[in-house]
Amino acid sequence: MATITKQARNKIWAFLALGTFVGLLLLPLFLSLPAGAGDTPAPAASTASAAAAPADAKPVEKSRDVWYKTEGPVVGAPAPKTTDSAKDYPRYNFESRVILWVALQQHLYYGSFVLAVPIFCMIVEYLGVITKDKALSRKYDQLAYDFVKISLTAYSITALLGGIVIFTFLTLYPTFFGYLSSIFRPVMATYALLFIAESGTLYIYYYAWDKMREGFLKWIHVAMSVILNVIGTVLMMLANSWIAFMQSPAGVDADGRYLGNVWHVIHTTLWNPINVHRLLGNMAFGGGVVAAYAAYRFLTAKSDEERSHYDWMGYVAMFIGICFLIPLPFAGYWLMREVYAYRQQMGITLMGGLLAWLFIIQAVMIGALFLTANYYLWQGMDRMRGAERYQKYIKYMVFVLIMCFIVWLTPHTMVMTPAELKAMGGQQHPVLGNYGVMSAKNGAINTIITTTVLSFIIYQRANKIPTVKWAPYGNAFLFGLFTMAYVNIIWLAIYGYYIPANVRVGLSVPQVASTLSCLFIGVILNSIMLKGAKDVGPIVWGQISVRGQYALIMLATSFTWMMGLMGYIRSSVRLFWHVNEIMRDNSPWAFTHTIGFGANMISFNVLFFWLTILFVFWLGSLGVKKVPATAPVGQKVPAPAGSH
Amino acid sequence: MVGQSREITTGMKIAIAVISLLVATAYFTFLDWGAMKIQGLDYFYMFRK
Repeated sequence: MATITKQARNKIWAFLALGTFVGLLLLPLFLSLPAGAGDTPAPAASTASAAAAPADAKPVEKSRDVWYKTEGPVVGAPAPKTTDSAKDYPRYNFESRVILWVALQQHLYYGSFVLAVPIFCMIVEYLGVITKDKALSRKYDQLAYDFVKISLTAYSITALLGGIVIFTFLTLYPTFFGYLSSIFRPVMATYALLFIAESGTLYIYYYAWDKMREGFLKWIHVAMSVILNVIGTVLMMLANSWIAFMQSPAGVDADGRYLGNVWHVIHTTLWNPINVHRLLGNMAFGGGVVAAYAAYRFLTAKSDEERSHYDWMGYVAMFIGICFLIPLPFAGYWLMREVYAYRQQMGITLMGGLLAWLFIIQAVMIGALFLTANYYLWQGMDRMRGAERYQKYIKYMVFVLIMCFIVWLTPHTMVMTPAELKAMGGQQHPVLGNYGVMSAKNGAINTIITTTVLSFIIYQRANKIPTVKWAPYGNAFLFGLFTMAYVNIIWLAIYGYYIPANVRVGLSVPQVASTLSCLFIGVILNSIMLKGAKDVGPIVWGQISVRGQYALIMLATSFTWMMGLMGYIRSSVRLFWHVNEIMRDNSPWAFTHTIGFGANMISFNVLFFWLTILFVFWLGSLGVKKVPATAPVGQKVPAPAGSH
Repeated sequence: MVGQSREITTGMKIAIAVISLLVATAYFTFLDWGAMKIQGLDYFYMFRK
């Protein structure tokens, strides 16, 4: 009886805790509702003055939104016209922009990490709850706990870096920051409240782990992770609204005067594409960092047990990261498409003008990422007996990947001397120039992704033989699906050369749909076929070459470098504007850096981040008394759902 | 019956492969046409002009 009472009490407490979290989550929304009402007149402009002196009341000035083209009451001051002075741009004997660059980039790296890792935790903890195998369930649970432990220290560093960013803004760009704060005041207040809510949830989530380990309480704990991630994602989206506003402002008139509709300044045209792109990017980055951590622990492991555990951990992290990497180019494409739709010139500056060569570097990085991911999967086949059946196909996949990689990184135009220009007969090479256009590049990247999906399907079945009756038909269908997907992607790439640009641009959608068909239909069909399949041999975790582990470190470094690069590109495209076409940057640093300088800065940020995150890992390892219980080497340890 | 499962002949294998290719061709053609149509574009533009 006493047990039942205790259980009931626990349930009540759990519900109360959950209710409090949900309440905290919804509180900022309620608070922001009045501010969000677009047609509510601002108190300063109407209510107060109308009550005090109705006779002298001036009509509320109205103006037109630069993006939504709607009329609204002017409730804010115009964007300040800054001058190159100590008042607007106080400075040290150093380029203020570079200081801010480092502070923001580090904050972003850590912010991305602490956004991604709890999502991993949620997925892995959930896997632990639904897994029937008790040993495996404990293993997943321990892994999720390890993840959140790492993110806890990183979370503190993120908060510290956030403080540094604010102080840097206040001390080096006070006028601009004042203007931005005046527009985003309710958003910033909401952000601060949500940050408190997230901190509270994270700490309770972590410290209540043992207390909420069993039964119904465990489900409450998993629900808490969902709430934690909802808060984290909303935080990210609010922060995104600031950068989206700077790039494609809305909710203000042509003079930069706020028109009282907070939703308009948040929901600018680039906000959602940036949200999706960043969320996916953060997840891929988080996966890369955790996988690199596991690789580091694998390489320094003293026993086979340790190697087995960290090999498995690296695989799980890489698997989740790659799941988010695959749709990332599509989200990037959507973002660029919206940039072109917003301002064509901005798109041209990015991809065909001043910043185009940075995009070539980005192409190299993306190609390297997919090559490395494939390489890791092929190396991972060493763990399985029976995988040798598929080894002979790898060389063909390498050929396809390399060819597509070359097309993918072919520049549209070359930087040349007049003599070279004359010798080549123009800015485009007569042959290679054909591969520098989007039609070819879309075909190349979709082929690369489809090949990665194929690699994964081969990895899935490396040590298995399907035993379902319809296996020959399933295999035939997979063969037909992939063959025709390749044919279709290449056909659409070629077709694009023969039709006008306005029709050609639409071909990217069926290309993406072809790739996604392979991803979803192929992987799901393969997984169903492998239900109850005959094992050729177990997965021997820990039995992978060290090259595979270096591949994980390479993946993580590439993610980090690419994030730095893309952030720089997105920010640079504003050129000499703080807020595009609204508030001009009149500081002495309103110029675009050379590619070399930009690349060095990105490399510095990457190195700085990795040095500090190693410190975080070291701190995390101090609390680890022993390696979590793992299956002995050679024993089968299931991998994430859908992989084995 | 163990050991008496029906063998799939080479001819059948080829037939299954051809059918799967035809099904996939139809699927991707429909996908191309549909994905262009929802954007208000004509997939068969080149053939009509």
